Amino acid sequence: MKKNLILKNFFIYFSALIVFLIMFFPLYGLILTSIQPENIIRSRNLSFFPTEIIFTHFAEVLKPNHISNIYEGIKNSLIVSFLTSFLCIILAFPASYSLARLNLPAKNIILGTLISIYFLPTILFVIPLFVILVSYQLDDTILSLVVPYTAFTLPFVIWILKSFIDKLPVEVEEAAKIDGCSTLQLLIHIIFPLLRPGLIAAFIFAFILSWVEFLTPLIFTNNLKISTVALGLFRSTIDIKIGQQAAAAIITLIPVTILMIFFQQYITKVVLSGSDK
Amino acid sequence: MTDLLNQPSNSQFKFSREKILAFTLILPSLILVFITYLYPAIFTFVISFAEYDIIRLKIKKFIQFKNFEFLISNYFFTSSVLRTIYFGFLICVCTTILSFLIALLLNEKFIGKAFLRVMIVLPWAVPSVVSGVLWGQMFHADTGFLNALLYQLGVISGYKIWLADPLVALHVIAIAEIWKAIPFMTLFFLSGLQSLPSEVFEAAAVDGANVFQRFSNILFPLMLPIAIPLFLIQFVLAMKSFDTIFVLTRGGPGGGTTTLNYFIYQEAFETFNLGRASAAAYVLLIITLAVVLIPTISRFLIKFFWGNK
Repeated sequence: MKKNLILKNFFIYFSALIVFLIMFFPLYGLILTSIQPENIIRSRNLSFFPTEIIFTHFAEVLKPNHISNIYEGIKNSLIVSFLTSFLCIILAFPASYSLARLNLPAKNIILGTLISIYFLPTILFVIPLFVILVSYQLDDTILSLVVPYTAFTLPFVIWILKSFIDKLPVEVEEAAKIDGCSTLQLLIHIIFPLLRPGLIAAFIFAFILSWVEFLTPLIFTNNLKISTVALGLFRSTIDIKIGQQAAAAIITLIPVTILMIFFQQYITKVVLSGSDK
Repeated sequence: MTDLLNQPSNSQFKFSREKILAFTLILPSLILVFITYLYPAIFTFVISFAEYDIIRLKIKKFIQFKNFEFLISNYFFTSSVLRTIYFGFLICVCTTILSFLIALLLNEKFIGKAFLRVMIVLPWAVPSVVSGVLWGQMFHADTGFLNALLYQLGVISGYKIWLADPLVALHVIAIAEIWKAIPFMTLFFLSGLQSLPSEVFEAAAVDGANVFQRFSNILFPLMLPIAIPLFLIQFVLAMKSFDTIFVLTRGGPGGGTTTLNYFIYQEAFETFNLGRASAAAYVLLIITLAVVLIPTISRFLIKFFWGNK
């Protein structure tokens, strides 16, 4: 029995190591490439550890007139992602309350439609949106990114917030209603503070989804006046400097990675709360 | 909506006021969704039967089913449809199996589990452009780790240009997609595993069922209701993938990595044939719906013919 346990433990740690290597090695390779001089990257000597660490790739990429324009991209992406997440929360908070607690007609149909929209091919909606934006000369604006992003993310955010509201105790709301609280007051003074973890999780979700969006800015900002960070990174793939490309990729990655590591608990909670019904 | 406006009776008035309030709260979201989804979907449907003038932004003329006829007789289109289905199937099979195994691992107790979980969730937040760049560098002909590793191990005699072979390139894209898809599905499987009653397994172990019997007779059937929807969702998402293809191969070489989604993009925004692109987009929509609906319909039929399961 004891020998069995040791064998089992060995097996667990061994597979944990394999999983770690598979999931993390690609990222590690990227980091390695970003901090090594170009001649070492291009040499045929395989080494999994840095022999010479430099940060010139990062410095080059962050220069204002670099081909990837990553500096401008970060600024635009931050603005667009913040606006999107903010708009999403403002729209989704009342909507999810309505879906979770109020006597809304055809509730299940609305919820089902919202969620299934997320899985439909995005390109189906992008073609006419492009035509509309061009005909009103709204392409290449922040608006042309924020509105579609918000719409693409909204169903997901509503679903997250609804599953959080479902978990709140109804008694608090009932007590407040007996005390003469209107629904609006209830939403602002009672539900909003109680829902804080859910709101944070939803905000992060929306932020990450907008940060990684690629197809929409690729099509809607065709003159490249407004470049997002993902587009900037893509443009660096045209260049041949591998080190700078890796550095640009890391810079793109940093904000979302920090969010992920700090709020991993919240995000796990979202998934766990959604599936146990 | 109309019937609740025509209700004069006092007792029902309060009831309908709540309905109106509920509707008002959700209305802004519904309007946004209508503007960005429903209206465009109708628009796409209309122009899929027309020739669209991209310069004047007007419908030139309606040509009935010509767009669809053109697509069906087009080799690039039909091959990209088959490729899309293969690509989607490959990704969701691999992702489901790997995620399930990783979830089984994370369900055990070991030191460093929390750390490993963070590492596994991380690829989800990696923008797909970054994942494209990352795997592109991994498989890069001159500087890629894979070439270097295989060369040093003596598996290959010279450096290979992986992405120049359409079939290899398609699978490289699939690897990138699988790597990015694993985190989310693993979390769902993990939550499913944690909600299982542990008594069943203990009872089975006491009764002398070995690991494989416990897996095939208890764990597998219990996890199937979670696995099937995840599998289908992944199928649909894989058919939607665009960014990785765009960054890694741009549909090439020789159209060998053009999935239907990418084909539509090329028709719409490279050759600016919006009518054809819209028709192709509806074909993709039908395939997507079929993937989602076939299991539902077959379950209904099974229930209908063989009674309640």
